[in-house]
Amino acid sequence: MVEIQPDQSFIQTLSDHLNHPDRLTTWDGFKLAYQAAQYKTVPQFDGLLALEHLPHVDFMDHQVQAAETVIHQMNGRAILADEVGLGKTLEAGLILKEYMIRGRAKKILILTPASLVNQWIQELNEKFYIQAASPRKKQASWKDWDVTVTSIDMAKRENHREEILSIDYDLIIIDEAHKLKNHQTKNYQFVQSLKKTYCLLLTATPIQNTLSDLFNLVSILKPGYLGNLTDFKKKYKKNTEDEDNIQHIHSLVGHLMIRNRRKDTGLDSSKRKVVNELLSFTEEEMAMYKRLEELKSTHPSFTWLTLAKELCSSREACYMSLKQLQKNAPEGKAEIYDEYIEMIGQLPHHVKAKRMTELIENAGEKFIIFTEYRATQYYLQWYLQQHGITSVPFSGKFNKGKRDWMKQLFKNKAQVMIATEAGGEGINLQFCHHMINYDLPWNPMRLEQRIGRIHRFGQEHDVKIYNFAIKDTIEDHIMKMLYEKIELFKNAVGDLDHILEQIPGGSFEQQIQTILKQSDSQGEVNIKLNNLVSYVEHTVNERRESS
Amino acid sequence: MNTKSPNPYTAFVKDFFTSYGCALVEQTPSYFTIQLTSEMDEEIMNRPFYWHYMKKMNREGDPMQLTFTDTAETHKQGIYLHAGTPKLHMIYNTAIEKARTARLYEVIYQTKHPRNRAMSPWLVINVLLHYRGKQAKDEPLSIGLNLIHGTMMLKMMDKIQNIDFETKVSDYTFPMTPVISLVNAYKRIERHIETYLSSLDNKWVSESLHHLEKEKQLLESFYQSEDIDLESFTKEREQIDNRYKPYVEIEVINGGLFYISQETSAEWMAQ
Repeated sequence: MVEIQPDQSFIQTLSDHLNHPDRLTTWDGFKLAYQAAQYKTVPQFDGLLALEHLPHVDFMDHQVQAAETVIHQMNGRAILADEVGLGKTLEAGLILKEYMIRGRAKKILILTPASLVNQWIQELNEKFYIQAASPRKKQASWKDWDVTVTSIDMAKRENHREEILSIDYDLIIIDEAHKLKNHQTKNYQFVQSLKKTYCLLLTATPIQNTLSDLFNLVSILKPGYLGNLTDFKKKYKKNTEDEDNIQHIHSLVGHLMIRNRRKDTGLDSSKRKVVNELLSFTEEEMAMYKRLEELKSTHPSFTWLTLAKELCSSREACYMSLKQLQKNAPEGKAEIYDEYIEMIGQLPHHVKAKRMTELIENAGEKFIIFTEYRATQYYLQWYLQQHGITSVPFSGKFNKGKRDWMKQLFKNKAQVMIATEAGGEGINLQFCHHMINYDLPWNPMRLEQRIGRIHRFGQEHDVKIYNFAIKDTIEDHIMKMLYEKIELFKNAVGDLDHILEQIPGGSFEQQIQTILKQSDSQGEVNIKLNNLVSYVEHTVNERRESS
Repeated sequence: MNTKSPNPYTAFVKDFFTSYGCALVEQTPSYFTIQLTSEMDEEIMNRPFYWHYMKKMNREGDPMQLTFTDTAETHKQGIYLHAGTPKLHMIYNTAIEKARTARLYEVIYQTKHPRNRAMSPWLVINVLLHYRGKQAKDEPLSIGLNLIHGTMMLKMMDKIQNIDFETKVSDYTFPMTPVISLVNAYKRIERHIETYLSSLDNKWVSESLHHLEKEKQLLESFYQSEDIDLESFTKEREQIDNRYKPYVEIEVINGGLFYISQETSAEWMAQ
């Protein structure tokens, strides 16, 4: 028999009020109250009441399931870690709406990168009919607002901080939560001191580099759940020998994290085709590249690495760095760069730029181009203009208005958008289905984030991705070593973030940097990279066999 | 939204405000504006300092206007009425808070030959059963009990929904004195609810208990392996109980003494 908690005061109240007729209500009032109680009733344990109130949104099965699991199994504290483009924001919105309908959430705080604030407000309004506020320059009334969207930087400012920390929030949602991986940062400590009942952490990459990233995210949700950090690290190291321990940790994290993969959703209606384009430098370009190698003997190898990578991207990027080197050079040493600068001025248009224009002209459709260098971005814009192709630049550093404007321009007017790395997160460009990775980042995960801009829900076409690399250069290595061998593009990203974090002695990205810095010859680089990749490959296979 | 079905909350919200003396100052197909009374402003606008100050200064204060919109499309600034909107919850709670108790008499319209009529007292109780455990749900019940002969009616509000009631006794009618006391009558209703609850499928209870046990064991294992100290162990232990222990709370929404003519009650008692 279940425990029953009776209403102990009502009948006494009624008796009292009958002696004070002014406290009694009218028939209209009585009926209104009865109706109000019907409206606020939650009639069922399971399922999502929100769905019938939101007939205009097409939720995917995995999104509905994720929301149900978070509410009914995880009790509202969870990491939503779907792969990029599977609709984490929709899942979070659905959970939020459900809690609001069930009357469980009234005070809600949503923390996102500043660039995403508007997008959140718009989406909550259009898809969920939730009216959210965000603080303007001087105006902020945290106590009065029910649903607030803002950035952590804004929230932790002197004049807001105290008020926010004094509020008991029913639900806190943190977007791009992987930025909180370091528990020593002010942001992390701020988030941990917020008062909350329910909490959702959104990230596509719960483990960016090391397992302690995940530990820190879990600690926001359930402090102490995984013990303390030092013990945790020790344990996990021992784990490799002890299967049971691994199982234990996985099942613990499984109680808190939802991770849908593209391949699992079965909804991957649009496919991605990846073409690795290996281009050859012209003779002059190659000569320049070889000349740069001479710098290795007199400079830190990192300098050479930067210059070589830049030359593979554009003359302009390399030129900017050379100029910088010259400026910072000690007295009398500056002249050695003259020769390089002179030489770089003689180079023809970049082979990649030519190939890019060819692809765009042949396809006649919209393209998004990613580059790591601002100088390349400017150059490409100019180059495309010379060929009568319209383009807009994009960067995460643009303010909100400019970002929205550029996106609109790209959608309605321009054929090409040229984005720098910082533009990777938080813009959705489903209307475009061609992408050129003009130069390749070291970290394969970052490429995944780029691709997610266009290969996400709402994409109706197959997505074509071109990865550019120059033959017999550092890029050739990145491509052969990292991209082709690891079979990144097929399905391994999910597995990969587990694996990349387990490499002894630092993250994958750090490993590569170290190899390139510390090796004396190309041969040595090859061997070391090969070893690294074999290690990853081995682990991937092991995992596949065991699962 | 493409569907043009009327917003179900609009009528309720308008009724609520007009019932409590707030004027509808503007109305268009897509939005309406309400002028709050001072009393209503104090109750739902959440600005106690303002009202405190006004009273202290012996001033009347300036109650606000509220605009509600019917669709998400309108450009008019206002509160969009949709399930889950916090203002809507606030209005529900205020509606309940303001109307917890009543003593009402059925209106008897006199014919040419008036005759005296006896009015039976009924205790009408509307409750929400809150099922709480790993998951939560509510169930509304409306029960009436005749205070003369103890007959119990279920779905009481449905039965009396369309009857006119007044706070004053109609002419030529006389209310009968209850034989059963309020306290006693309420106990009978409570017993009925208990019997009803014990007749239900208790799967949700065993599931909650099972989950509770699992969480406790997990916590236990953290404590054993010294992942957490005694203090947080105790704190968490309580938390787990709070969150998963299954129980049903009976909350009376409102209730009152209703005087109903025997002719009227005979109609639905015969059914």
